[in-house]
Amino acid sequence: MPAAKVLAALALAAAAGSAWTEGEVLRYGQALSAHKSIYSLPVALAEREGLFRREGIDLRIVIPIPGGTDRMIDALHDDTVDVTHVATPFLVRAALDGSDAVAIAAEFNDPIYSLVARPEIHRIADLKGRVVGMADPGGSIAFSMRKLLALHGILESDVRMKTIDGTPARLRCLRGGGCDAVPLGQPHDLQAQAEGYRLLGISNEAVPEYLYTVSATRRSWAAANSELVVRYVRALAASFAMMREPARRSAVVAAIVDITAVPPGIAERVLDLYAQPGRKALPLRGEIDPKGLAQVIAFMAEAGQIRSPLPDAERFIDRSYLARAGVR
Amino acid sequence: MIRFRAMRIAVRLALLAIALLPAPALAGANKDRGQDEVGPGPDEGPSYFGVVLDTAGKPVDDARVTATSRDGLAMTTRSNAAGAYSLPGFNKRINAEEVKIACAKPGYRQVRVVRRPAQSGRPLRAVETECRLQKS
Repeated sequence: MPAAKVLAALALAAAAGSAWTEGEVLRYGQALSAHKSIYSLPVALAEREGLFRREGIDLRIVIPIPGGTDRMIDALHDDTVDVTHVATPFLVRAALDGSDAVAIAAEFNDPIYSLVARPEIHRIADLKGRVVGMADPGGSIAFSMRKLLALHGILESDVRMKTIDGTPARLRCLRGGGCDAVPLGQPHDLQAQAEGYRLLGISNEAVPEYLYTVSATRRSWAAANSELVVRYVRALAASFAMMREPARRSAVVAAIVDITAVPPGIAERVLDLYAQPGRKALPLRGEIDPKGLAQVIAFMAEAGQIRSPLPDAERFIDRSYLARAGVR
Repeated sequence: MIRFRAMRIAVRLALLAIALLPAPALAGANKDRGQDEVGPGPDEGPSYFGVVLDTAGKPVDDARVTATSRDGLAMTTRSNAAGAYSLPGFNKRINAEEVKIACAKPGYRQVRVVRRPAQSGRPLRAVETECRLQKS
């Protein structure tokens, strides 16, 4: 073979190799809040550990501004992203309004929100007449906290509710003395306890089953790109599996530190909390629990966001890509 | 001509106002509902703002403006009626000099992106760019 042909063949092979290394582009949407929170862990870990690259995917995280999980389905429809992270109430609402968006994998199941109070408050019952900094009244956090308070005999009318969006802002309210108790997610709940604030209860006491955030895409886009979707959910499944591997613990802790900017000790405790028996915060491999989504729909109905007859959870889920990726 | 110049001055003043907004105000503009919100913190680098114009210098509204870091993380927004846009900062670890700004709109092609030089001796709080689109 002439030298020129050999060189051309080598150049072609190198180009093909480089294309594989770079992979097929998949635009993944993430709200700015999610990007900086523990809820980005499954995708962030997969990206850091090369799990998408292993599947031939060049994952590009795209943050739409103005953001918010309530806008992520719009980002699918205006071609800003191909797949998006979204909180389930927003997916359900969009689908009921005619969107063909559907959940293809779970990202976070039952989130752990801790009701944390000033040190002198010992029990939930002591919150009567006190100021509770609460999240968006129509959201998952407020749903679960109202249930937790009720479980301990406190009605919404017994306390002075103050709407404060975001765990960091609620922690600031607690520290500043403007709130007597607030719900906090990880890792801020652990930070607050380390500072002497008292844990009164956690959301899971009242809401043991939930489907908080999912990866969603449009049915039409997924049908046209089914192989890419299967590879995406396979990478995500591998990320969840990695979180449970003791040998990979340091990589997971490093990812939590990187995302949330907490000291490694707090990140270790977050991971220990998720690993406790009975906790269902993280799916095993991205599997979607329709009972968790049915609970979301029931809460939405309770809050007057949707009316009876309630839709079947299966309507918002497509498990075929998980099945093709070997996830049951 | 005078009207056109006045409009450009107005756009520049509006952009200056955006750039001088304190970080919490920008956070409010990007208010995130439905999940936990994390506003700009001490780890946040300079924000990005500017204007999208056509080749005649007129503002282009509803153009998609994307800031992309070297490692592929992207933030995207749309220009308003004055062609103006603003995006929050990436993490401080991301070198603002390496963040690429691009603009796009169906029926147009990007012809130029001009980054305004930062004032020397002052900490970089915001990066201003002008993006030009030409009808294709």
